[in-house]
Amino acid sequence: MIDPIHQFNIDKIFTIGHIGNQEIAFTNSSAYMFVSVALISLLMIGGVAGRQLVPGRFQSMAELSYEFVANTIRSNAGSEGMKFFPLVFSLFMFIMVSNMIGIIPYTFTVSSHIIVTVSLALLVFLTVLVYGFYKNGLKFFKLFVPSGVPIYILPLVVVIEIISFLSRPVSHSVRLFANMLAGHITLKVFASFVTMLGAFGFVGWVGAILPLGLTVALTALELLVAFLQAYVFTILTCIYINDAIHPGH
Amino acid sequence: MARGFRLSSELIAGVVVGAVIGWGFDRLLSTSPWGLIVFFLLGFVAGVVNVIRSAGVSPERTGR
Repeated sequence: MIDPIHQFNIDKIFTIGHIGNQEIAFTNSSAYMFVSVALISLLMIGGVAGRQLVPGRFQSMAELSYEFVANTIRSNAGSEGMKFFPLVFSLFMFIMVSNMIGIIPYTFTVSSHIIVTVSLALLVFLTVLVYGFYKNGLKFFKLFVPSGVPIYILPLVVVIEIISFLSRPVSHSVRLFANMLAGHITLKVFASFVTMLGAFGFVGWVGAILPLGLTVALTALELLVAFLQAYVFTILTCIYINDAIHPGH
Repeated sequence: MARGFRLSSELIAGVVVGAVIGWGFDRLLSTSPWGLIVFFLLGFVAGVVNVIRSAGVSPERTGR
């Protein structure tokens, strides 16, 4: 009964094929990814299908999410960053919708597995690297050489800057993963206190009011965290893309 | 809680990446344990730099 980790189990639904000896399976994680992509498509395609001048409920949701992401990119990476709008918008919507789905009881949270967040963060990291070298050529290395540092400590600073740059995908992915994992475990632990205390009869029921209230409050907090982490991921993506467009501090 | 997670993940990422680089350096050049020691400390410094930057404490001054 009390197994707060069980919700993160990966279950195989059916097998697609084999690569070498490795089985490629369609899992519950893949299913929930498809669900969130389907929901996003429904919102965006269904929202703009009407094309009314005065937007309805669906259309204004679609327009609001567009405006929100567009403003985030413009304020963090400048108008040049709008080239990356499709990437950033897909990342934001995918993370936010899959996090929101994960809050519903009995569902699976896609971003609570580090492999998912690492692949998203590496996608951003490699985009920044490839685009940075494509746009700036070797001037991209200026990113590692802050201006105005005395020559005798410059080698040390460059090494530190390079490590700091390499640590970006790590912190980028761990942040999202750890937040979702910790939040869901906390929620499960507090919820299990309710049933444990409830087994003690009347005194237990009175005592269970506290963890029950906490569970409700934590669910609201998790809703905030789900949105906030998607937003933080998006902002950091914009900041990294800004580095690719304008290297040098 | 979100802010705490953000800052701590920056610090840990710096230290972990530094340690991994040092470990790989040692394996390739068999300079154990000096690479690990040096890069672990450099990773710690990089982590602190990350934390200062992401906390937004005077980005002007840290850039200089």
